Amino acid sequence: MEELLIKKLSFTKKPIPLPAEYRPMYKIALIVMILKYSCRAETSNLLKLHLLSWALASQKNMTELRGYVTSNFKSDFSVWGIEPALNRALQLAVAENICDIVNGKNYKLTEKGNKFFEMIKADIELFDIEKSFLTLIGKNTITDSRITSMTQKWNLFYVEN
Amino acid sequence: MLKIRAIKLEVNTTSGLFGAEYEFSNGLNIIRGDNTTGKSSLFQSILYGLGFEELLGGKNEKTMQTALKDQVEFPDGKFHLVNQSFVYLEIENKEIVTIKRGITSDSRKPQLVDVFPGALLTGNDKTLPSRPMFVHDKGGASDDIYGFHLFLSEFLDWSLPEVITTKGEMSHLYLQQIAPAFIIEQKSGWSDFFATLPYYPMRNTESRVVEFILDLDVFENQKRKQQLSANKQQINTKWNLLFLQFNKLAEKCGGTLRGLEQNASIINSIGGIYIAMLKNEKEITLTDFNEQQKEELAVLEKQQTTTVGSNINKNEEALKKLTDKLNQLSLNYEMLSPELNYDNEKLKQYTKQLEAVSEDLRKNKGALKVKSLGHELPAETADDSCPACHQPIKDSLLPSEIKQTPMRIEDNVSFLEAQQKMIEVYIKGQEKVIREKEKKLLTYQTQLAETRQEIRDTKKELVQDERLPSVLEIEKRLNLKKKVEFFSKQIEDFTQLIEELKTLSKELENLLTKEKNLPTDFFTLEDRKKLASLYDGFIALLKKFNYQSKPFDAIKISNDNYLPVAEKSLDNGMKLAYNLKFDSSASDFIRCLWSYYTALFKTSVAFKTNHPMLLIFDEPKQQDMAIGNFKSFLSELSQFTEQQVLVFASFENSDDSFKEATQGLKFSLNRIEEKLIKPIS
Repeated sequence: MEELLIKKLSFTKKPIPLPAEYRPMYKIALIVMILKYSCRAETSNLLKLHLLSWALASQKNMTELRGYVTSNFKSDFSVWGIEPALNRALQLAVAENICDIVNGKNYKLTEKGNKFFEMIKADIELFDIEKSFLTLIGKNTITDSRITSMTQKWNLFYVEN
Repeated sequence: MLKIRAIKLEVNTTSGLFGAEYEFSNGLNIIRGDNTTGKSSLFQSILYGLGFEELLGGKNEKTMQTALKDQVEFPDGKFHLVNQSFVYLEIENKEIVTIKRGITSDSRKPQLVDVFPGALLTGNDKTLPSRPMFVHDKGGASDDIYGFHLFLSEFLDWSLPEVITTKGEMSHLYLQQIAPAFIIEQKSGWSDFFATLPYYPMRNTESRVVEFILDLDVFENQKRKQQLSANKQQINTKWNLLFLQFNKLAEKCGGTLRGLEQNASIINSIGGIYIAMLKNEKEITLTDFNEQQKEELAVLEKQQTTTVGSNINKNEEALKKLTDKLNQLSLNYEMLSPELNYDNEKLKQYTKQLEAVSEDLRKNKGALKVKSLGHELPAETADDSCPACHQPIKDSLLPSEIKQTPMRIEDNVSFLEAQQKMIEVYIKGQEKVIREKEKKLLTYQTQLAETRQEIRDTKKELVQDERLPSVLEIEKRLNLKKKVEFFSKQIEDFTQLIEELKTLSKELENLLTKEKNLPTDFFTLEDRKKLASLYDGFIALLKKFNYQSKPFDAIKISNDNYLPVAEKSLDNGMKLAYNLKFDSSASDFIRCLWSYYTALFKTSVAFKTNHPMLLIFDEPKQQDMAIGNFKSFLSELSQFTEQQVLVFASFENSDDSFKEATQGLKFSLNRIEEKLIKPIS
């Protein structure tokens, strides 16, 4: 076999394209909009944030959640995704003082978070789809007890069986 | 002009009726009151009476001081609870009206305003009828019968200009947006030009306000430009419609449209637009095509109709040729048809890809925007720095163990845009391929049908009585005749469409000329005079008030927002303009504000513009301004004897300062002694 005469190999790392979902400020902006449009007292637990963040990830997810909500929670709704990226974004948001942790488990929008929201809201074109989806979901639709019952169902179907 | 004739406050407390009443005259009015006497309450009540309390940062009664809504302190240390309170404001333009608005009242909402047609405060007639109106609620600025601000703008003879909202719709400027040009409030009014301008989703509000106050024509010109672009839009729509009609016609004839562009453009040679027909693998125009058919028809018509018998040999040969042709055509058809299916499938995939990339692009653009918003907020994350430990971090939410470097969002956006463009090109190409193949398939189909018909006819003739005349030839003649008629009709339609196209092209040409003739900047000669006067007035006043932070020749009035800016020449010859605030000391910036509002007033007086001819300053002596400068300011203001200027000031709570600042000036004095709100006997 012929031998390859290579003395040195070097690799340069090229920057890779990254989906917007993995950009910190993008995710923080979504958190701010979720808390403001779709949460009572601008406060939410972690699972609900995950649910809505998952829904916003694609048209398909949005349609699914919307169908579930408009069918008055009667239709089938399976599992939603839990993504570590959201947790990281939440850590950043808390460190930025954009939201606060209250009662040790819930996230609440701060004054600075509200200011950020106003900036996002002022730009009509920015996140128009997300804004209208979250407004449609509204503050009183997905309550804590709803989340609990959804996760219970989920336990029943996917864990115990 | 808007003249404030008198104000009256009525406060019913648990200890009886309290209140205050003041009258103001033309020229300079000084309202002197020591700190905490309630000077600002009086100032704010004027704003409240006019429905301008948004300048104080809110709406309705919550903007007002405690003394007018909760409890009155009189004398110091003794408190009386408020049951009910009202502001009365007597104003004059060509007529006199009195406004009554409740601050605290069980029976009335603060949005309710009563308007009396006369001098309720200074006149003798206390029994005027009143008209109820409302402010701030929906319709307050537009409701014909009940909207107080609509009433007020009519009272002032103001036709408020239309401006573009951030949504791109037209909306009238609101009165409370114009007010910061002539009412300067104490707490935030001295922090910047038009600092108290309430926020509405409109573009460049400051510029629109100054344009309105100075009655500049620039606004008209901009509107004309918008009108023209609307017309252009219309022409484009018509053009598109026409383009579709042309294409439909071409399709009907089985040809292709050539020489016409989809977007409106001026057409010089009408002859270049034609429908191309395929004949013997060559393209010819529809007109030529029809001429050739006509000739063929003429030849056929001249011939004697032959009988079946004499055609047998010819027919047998023809039949063989026709069968060959049929086979070839069927083969072509069957080859092409699956190809087309495959192409359609490919197109579907491209379209799906495009959707995905477009969605990704939309999100990335959003991410880019929020990143810059975050920078303004400010959030350290937006600057790729950790908010907790201030170390640099990557712009990514991937776990830190992944050592990949993400693209910058800007690069990511251009990367996606390039992809999007590429897919769009694919799709366009694919669509063109499909269109062509579909057309070809259709041609095969018709040709197949025609050939089959011919074969049937030939066979029929071969078994017919030999003495009969040839049906085949008769049919051929009839068909050709029909075709000629059909195409002649289409050519007529085509000529008509061409006529329409000519008119449209002419319209477009006119429009483009008009557009070219619009001035590149929209100022008229009169506008320039006004702006020059504003500038001269501003600089002269700065000198007078002893402004020192910048050389005067570096100060300009911006042509964009009409605010003073400092200009700096860069190395490359470009000029950089920035807010004067950044290069002025705190007290010098107050001098700027004095000079600007006064110069605006002065220019408006000289050119008789829309300015209400009223200036109200709340505590203009800010930042430990020297009393001598303050005197120059007051002396400048005292020259507006025909107009009205109200200055609320404490004069450092000292009689000496007051004397020094006002010595030799002509003015009317209102002194607030002890407390503004006192028992009324």
